[in-house]
Amino acid sequence: MSGTEKAGSGTTKTPADFLKSIRGRPVVVKLNSGVDYRGILACLDGYMNIAMEQTEEYVNGQLKNKYGDAFIRGNNVLYISTSKRTLAEGA
Amino acid sequence: MATEEESAVKEPLDLIRLSLDERIYVKLRSDRELRGKLHAYDQHLNMILGDVEEIVTTVEIDDETYEEIVRTTKRTVPFLFVRGDGVILVSPPLRTA
Repeated sequence: MSGTEKAGSGTTKTPADFLKSIRGRPVVVKLNSGVDYRGILACLDGYMNIAMEQTEEYVNGQLKNKYGDAFIRGNNVLYISTSKRTLAEGA
Repeated sequence: MATEEESAVKEPLDLIRLSLDERIYVKLRSDRELRGKLHAYDQHLNMILGDVEEIVTTVEIDDETYEEIVRTTKRTVPFLFVRGDGVILVSPPLRTA
């Protein structure tokens, strides 16, 4: 079910399909305030609430805080982007 | 431990549920931060926190040098109702810490 979905990630049909496909992957979440959160996307819901792991907070490109787990309330989210940079490189 | 937590977190609010009765960090709008024990919450992220430390960060401009001065003000509140629509981020304590 989900395995085949992940395997066939070539074409995604809707925004919801994109959001399903990035679960478990490194992402960048940009808030309306301009702050970035980088980490592993654990899960999200219909309000765009986000649970992340190994979360790093960047303000104006500077690393400000680290959170083992973080919950971000969906109303603050401007966008979610997959990150090409691996966390291993960052660490 | 990570795998246990991962299987327990199927939707983001599970992360909040797992934080009940634990001390959590809450980032609010207007540069406010809270640390307190999570007693209760709802789907709006209204929360009841106990033994709360509130930190407010303000930036002032020095009249003479025009330097930015970052100042933090702290206060403690025994019991606090937080309205959910001001919440930006909630983080449970670091397991490794």
